[in-house]
Amino acid sequence: MSSELPLAGRFRRLVATLVDAILVPSLSLVLVMITGVMEDAEDYANLDLMLLWIFLLAIAAYMILNGYTLWHQGQTLGKWLMGIAIVPASSHVQAGFVRVGNEGKSAYVPAPFWKLIFIRALFFPVLFLWVVPWLALLPVLDQALIFGKRRRCLHDLFAGTIVVRV
Amino acid sequence: MNCLAVARRVFVSSGRGMPLPAVMVCFCAVFFTRVVVAECAALDSQVGFESSYAEGWGIDRRNTRYQPRSTIDSGNAAGLSLKWVYGLTSRTPRSYPLVTEDTIFLGDDGRGIVALERETGCERWIYEHDGQISSSILQGWIGEQRILIFNDRNDGMFAIDAVDGEFVWHAKVEDEPAPWYSGSPLVLGDTVILPVSSKEVGYSVNPIYGCCTTSGGMAAFDINTGEKLWYIPTIEEIAKPTERHWFFVQEYGPSGAPVWAAPSYDAKRGLIFFGTGQNYSHPTTDTSDSIFAVDVETGEVRWVRQFTANDAYTAACNIEALNHPNCADPTGPDVDFGAATMLVRNKSGRELVLAGQKSADVYAMDPETGDVVWTQKLGRGGIIGGVHWGMAANESLGLVYVPISDKKIVGFPSPGEPTPGLYALDIETGARRWHYSRDSRCSDLECVFGFSAAIIASNDIVVAGSMDGILEVLAAESGKLLWSHDAWRDYPSVNDVVTSGGAFDAHGAMIADDLLLVSSGYSYVGQQRGGNAFLVFQVEVKNEQ
Repeated sequence: MSSELPLAGRFRRLVATLVDAILVPSLSLVLVMITGVMEDAEDYANLDLMLLWIFLLAIAAYMILNGYTLWHQGQTLGKWLMGIAIVPASSHVQAGFVRVGNEGKSAYVPAPFWKLIFIRALFFPVLFLWVVPWLALLPVLDQALIFGKRRRCLHDLFAGTIVVRV
Repeated sequence: MNCLAVARRVFVSSGRGMPLPAVMVCFCAVFFTRVVVAECAALDSQVGFESSYAEGWGIDRRNTRYQPRSTIDSGNAAGLSLKWVYGLTSRTPRSYPLVTEDTIFLGDDGRGIVALERETGCERWIYEHDGQISSSILQGWIGEQRILIFNDRNDGMFAIDAVDGEFVWHAKVEDEPAPWYSGSPLVLGDTVILPVSSKEVGYSVNPIYGCCTTSGGMAAFDINTGEKLWYIPTIEEIAKPTERHWFFVQEYGPSGAPVWAAPSYDAKRGLIFFGTGQNYSHPTTDTSDSIFAVDVETGEVRWVRQFTANDAYTAACNIEALNHPNCADPTGPDVDFGAATMLVRNKSGRELVLAGQKSADVYAMDPETGDVVWTQKLGRGGIIGGVHWGMAANESLGLVYVPISDKKIVGFPSPGEPTPGLYALDIETGARRWHYSRDSRCSDLECVFGFSAAIIASNDIVVAGSMDGILEVLAAESGKLLWSHDAWRDYPSVNDVVTSGGAFDAHGAMIADDLLLVSSGYSYVGQQRGGNAFLVFQVEVKNEQ
């Protein structure tokens, strides 16, 4: 029995993030097209309402794609594909994981759902700020901490999480 | 960047230290600027407004763009010299000034309307307004109160008190969901006429936008209250669903036919004339790329003359990378009547409506019927002209002056050879009298020679600013170059703002008495050089005794 799962590799985390960063906006776009919230001049006439709708549809897209796996496994779709998961940093340190005998499968306690949604997920849209010149440093700041010893990005520190291979 | 910083950069980059003379010159310049600023601080904010030098965008209400109240002529134009420079906030200024006997009113995007002392450029007052001021500044009356009227390109028309800059009213067109107020209003007594374009030409760049439902139009408002009197769309038919793209996005048509420019006024017939742009989507209409004649009192359309049929185009057509679903198929040439129409008289007294199109065609029409009297083709045309912003006329010489851009825009085909320049045509026949052209200053896109900006005439001169940043005064009878100014440079400004010139575009130059006034800089379309300089030149007039 092993007391700890290994930390997720940086490459796996990068690919998982890229998958999420492609899938969530793509589904958002489809939802925007289906609902037609920015399809004609009337929508643009009430710009604040249109932007609110787009924001809500983006949240819906995130939850459709990731809600179930985050709740049950602490994984976004990208992380599920890459075999990594988000767990509480404290339980990781405290050897809270159990490797289950002969089949070599991992059992782990995912990070609390509310933390994943209300803290960690708030950093997801920050990823896209690299396109705004004077805000481009924010995602860099968030992601740069992955080069630390425990590979905890800023969103991990805020949410009290760590990403491991499962 | 101030003088010291510029000098330091020049000398340090050349590997030398800053010599003492440079330091002294800079000290004097900085000191002088501070003195001017100090003098400005003590300036009387009271505006003198016995008279103004324009009745609207077109100088007169017929839009001839001929300034009769000027002392600048072919004999003294060579003596024009820079009097002062005001540093604007915008790098793409789109406001046309109003000049009185002692004040210049000017729009500055993001700041508002500034009232500048005519002699020095010092600020008398500022009406703060955080929007894009896109029109000429006009004057009007509410009883005894003199007001100024201007457009915010996105938010409609505003009236403020001309004396102290206090807000009076704000009006907008509620009949269309995406109005764009690019064309200057026209004040006719108690009525203000407002041209209406549509933002859908830009919205359509978004591929999940369902192009397009809106129409251009013309509206009339009560000057006393800002209440709407009438509105006419240029397309009466309500847009209907047509095709879908990407399964979900519904497209609509007909749409478009925006109005981009100030109308011209025919007092005798009680009509206004204005041109329209292309359709945005199919099916096309018989009112796009057309000239309208409309009754001022009722808004009734008297006649419509279409010059290019089946022209459907949006900004989506400029995006090469996509087979853009919002680019109309088949795609039209985008040859709006972006320039204002004008009503002129030829030497025999006959009145004609003149209109210049982005196709580089010029048309003369009978104001009563819209029948075409003559046409003249002057270039290959393109999406920023051909004729883009406006022509000028000198009726006593019997000439109309036509600026041709012919600039190629990256991402859009421009077949044929460009023939940019300034053309003088006989008002009576349309025959060419002379053509002025010159080489571009370099091969970069921002260097391309051509006249997109509106021009202005006065006495025996014509003033034209080119897209490559050179302002030129030409002899009205011959086209001979009399004077020029290269605006691709930094300027010291009276308001101590870092100031540089760029392309000449949009509304072009204004003339008033011995002054020549013009904004320099335009980076909105056409890969041109931005700038934020409002330049005021003055000619030295010798009194003959």
